Amino acid sequence: MDILLQLTFAGIGMGSIYALVALGLVLIYRATSVVNFAQGDFAMFAAFLMVLAHLHLGLPYWASFLVALAGMVAFGLIFNYGVYYPLRNRSYLPVLISTLGASIVIQNSVLAAYGPHPANLPGALSFQGFQVGSVFLDGQYLVIIAATAALVLLQHLFFEKTIVGKQLQATSQDKEMASLLGVPVKIMIAITFIYSAVLGGVAGVLVGPIIYVSIGMGGAIALKAFAATIIGGFGDIKGAIIGGVVLGIIETFGAAFISVPYKDAFAFIVLFAFLMVRPQGIFGEKIAEKA
Amino acid sequence: MPLLDIDRIHTFHGRVEALSGVSLSVEPGEIVALLGANGAGKTTTLRSVSGLLTPQSGAIRFDGKPITGLSPEAIVRMGVSHVPEGRRVFPGLTVVENIILGASNRRRPSRRRMAEDVEDMFGLFPEIRPFSDTLCWKLSGGQLQMVALARGLMAQPRLLLLDEPSLGLAPLIIQQVFRIVQEIRKRGTTVLLVEQNAHMALSIADRGYVLETGRVVLQGDAQRLAHNDDVKAAYLGGRTA
Repeated sequence: MDILLQLTFAGIGMGSIYALVALGLVLIYRATSVVNFAQGDFAMFAAFLMVLAHLHLGLPYWASFLVALAGMVAFGLIFNYGVYYPLRNRSYLPVLISTLGASIVIQNSVLAAYGPHPANLPGALSFQGFQVGSVFLDGQYLVIIAATAALVLLQHLFFEKTIVGKQLQATSQDKEMASLLGVPVKIMIAITFIYSAVLGGVAGVLVGPIIYVSIGMGGAIALKAFAATIIGGFGDIKGAIIGGVVLGIIETFGAAFISVPYKDAFAFIVLFAFLMVRPQGIFGEKIAEKA
Repeated sequence: MPLLDIDRIHTFHGRVEALSGVSLSVEPGEIVALLGANGAGKTTTLRSVSGLLTPQSGAIRFDGKPITGLSPEAIVRMGVSHVPEGRRVFPGLTVVENIILGASNRRRPSRRRMAEDVEDMFGLFPEIRPFSDTLCWKLSGGQLQMVALARGLMAQPRLLLLDEPSLGLAPLIIQQVFRIVQEIRKRGTTVLLVEQNAHMALSIADRGYVLETGRVVLQGDAQRLAHNDDVKAAYLGGRTA
């Protein structure tokens, strides 16, 4: 029983990272109908910004965190205008390829600037964690879970309680109609890219102490985040969060009880099972859209 | 000075010329009907006015100011509200959220002002009041048309562009929609109305234009158009109409 609780805790922690990246993926998809192949690189880029600010420039941890997030705001804006905006009136395919190209450019830019060696980020808190009964609650995992919960809550309030939140939803449901009402669609989409970059950034900085910060780290996270969105129901915000957490838990249990080397395979076995049995995902509906 | 003045516009869909020199004008306080068969260019005309399409040549002036080439956001901020074909209500938002979004063109009204305006809309459309917190994909066609109209009016437009408000609705609902259009005009909003239902449209309009393959072929007083033999033959179901 204890081991189950312990694994569930770790699974939720890792799953929260997938959920954050998946959330960014879904928000961009809903706003632009494009799957952003560079979503994982948002996390990677932020983690390297953190390495730069904290380890190389020697700024305190939370100041570095703020620098990394501010960097991601700029990054999201540049991404919006450089990768999406010039192709916004084309079909989804050119934009998709554009994000794929951006992913390669981002990875190689970091490679050129930093070199191929992975870095190791310290945790957000100085304490290691604490023991509750027989379960050890790791400090970094607690931070990840708390930060994810806080972001999800804030986002919910923003979408449901503010006019701008409603305008963002309107933009994702029908861009042309939104513009007819006077919603500044371009700004709405820029906000979406910025927010998704920040979400990815939080994920990248917080996962840094758990996995090595490396140029390829984004790819692995993004693939699992993508799997999470399908498991949850593609395009569904709630589904991305639940899908991410479910995936984290399944992966952790698979690694503990079946095989550690095949840890990364479990996400895709689950993805495969979902595609066979319930392709619309947990929250998805069979009918794609109701008019 | 006309409120809306369309001056020989040519609008293309890709390489197909959908409007070949359409001119029309709408005076303040009028209801003007734009009639014609499918594909005649009625919707294209409205989309050119609201900025969804940009005419390749010609000019559109609203209240004397040229608006050709402006973005839809800029045009609706000047007071032109477009309620498009198919209603285009946001399915995943509630009735009241849709209505509030209609005010996106206005300079952030205060909460109290917004609540009053929403209340005003529910006064005009009492049928949708009970559904104010219902997601719109659950509504019927008639209810959706009411939401679309209410949302369009929240922009406080000086000119309302209405595209096929009667499409797909039951006869009783259609009568209701047309009564509301007359009410909208009484409140001081000018209306440019596109309709397949020519008989209904001409019964409430002051003037009308008939489009055929991208050109205005007939125009004039609504009563006269309703009794014009060509119009009767083409759009009013023959001489018995």
